[in-house]
Amino acid sequence: MGGRREHYAPIAREADEPVFHERWEARTFGISGFVLVLLRGNTERFRFAMEQLPREVYMSGYYQRWLGGLERLLVEAGYLGRGELDARLLDGAAAQGARTRSPARLALVSRLMRSYLRPRLPRWVCAHVLPRVTGTLRPVFWRPRFHLGDRVRVRSGPERAFTRKPGYVRGRPGVVSAHHRAALFADARGEGRRARPQHLYTVAFDGRELWGEHAEPETEVRVDLFESHLEPA
Amino acid sequence: MSHAPVSERHEDPAVRVEALEALLVEKGLVDPSVVDEVIEHYETNVGPLNGAKVIARAWVDPAYRARLLHDATKAIAELGFGGPEGHMVIAVENSPSVHNVVVCTLCSCYPWSVLGLPPAWYKSPAYRSRMVAEPRAVLREMGLDLPQVLRVRVWDSSAEARYLVLPERPAGTEGMDERELATLVTRDAMIGVARALGPATAGTHA
Repeated sequence: MGGRREHYAPIAREADEPVFHERWEARTFGISGFVLVLLRGNTERFRFAMEQLPREVYMSGYYQRWLGGLERLLVEAGYLGRGELDARLLDGAAAQGARTRSPARLALVSRLMRSYLRPRLPRWVCAHVLPRVTGTLRPVFWRPRFHLGDRVRVRSGPERAFTRKPGYVRGRPGVVSAHHRAALFADARGEGRRARPQHLYTVAFDGRELWGEHAEPETEVRVDLFESHLEPA
Repeated sequence: MSHAPVSERHEDPAVRVEALEALLVEKGLVDPSVVDEVIEHYETNVGPLNGAKVIARAWVDPAYRARLLHDATKAIAELGFGGPEGHMVIAVENSPSVHNVVVCTLCSCYPWSVLGLPPAWYKSPAYRSRMVAEPRAVLREMGLDLPQVLRVRVWDSSAEARYLVLPERPAGTEGMDERELATLVTRDAMIGVARALGPATAGTHA
């Protein structure tokens, strides 16, 4: 949504905002977390499922979007039939999702999730175990193509259906300000494609390179981008 | 494939999620008691108080501050915080010449392990669209008017890293200990849309 004027509006802040405004939001959050672990789904697929929702569903709210994305993921993966939920709500008939998971797996995931639901965790778990389980950094033997201080340009060729490259940096020049080693390629993961990990960088863009004469003075935007998003400038 | 005669959708999300949960429980895809615990965890255990402890520690302990800026995930782990959306945290430091602020234009990425779940305004299309293009105007609207000479650096969390702003320690806090300092560190200061509170606002230290 970066720089898209159709979304511009005043920022509405709420004093003493609760974590969840309504119970259904909390249920949506909790169920999504559980199902994503159970199905070994990845966050990128979840994001892609949300992005493919009809615009009015996507724009209707944050947890509305989670709920829609979750339903979509479950249907795509075959656990839920298309229209199965609506059939249940409206006393209709629909094909049921045939796929299931074993009770043993359900129990395992329950135990796994409970194990991290505590105020503090052992240091080595936070520093070494969880980043490996939930993180996407992967060791690779090939070298990074770009280095700190390199001038790069964001590729502007045809886009795939899902990308983590923000639209407002397409074709823009910037400078590599960090190299984060290599990570699983988010764009491929969202679409369920297999792809090798890619070196991941932070690129600094001067405001004027992004917004031209409309840019505010002395501003820059730093964006995390995968190697295939970039070319030498 | 589908032979559903149902063409309508029941739109009320509260009704939909209740029915979805019931369906998933029947199918053996959800354990509702774990869902209860996940919700409780994010309502009670995880929140900006975690981040405030991290920042206060960095203000009083220069060696910790250096570790935080070098590898925030590991430095945060020292205090026992981690978990989802906390697997690659990067701390960015405010200074007299640079002000940092965080956004996610593609969805609403946020360092849950130290800040909890994001507030509604952070997830709003208005914040997501405007912060990268007119950060000074947005910050001014949110009560932070920055001098023109200060460089504004906006971090768009578009991939793996989740960013935590290390605000400047407020003046006049030399006599305060780590626990007192933590009360000055607000969620908004760690996102970068505010400064840390001054000592006068910290209750007993008026």
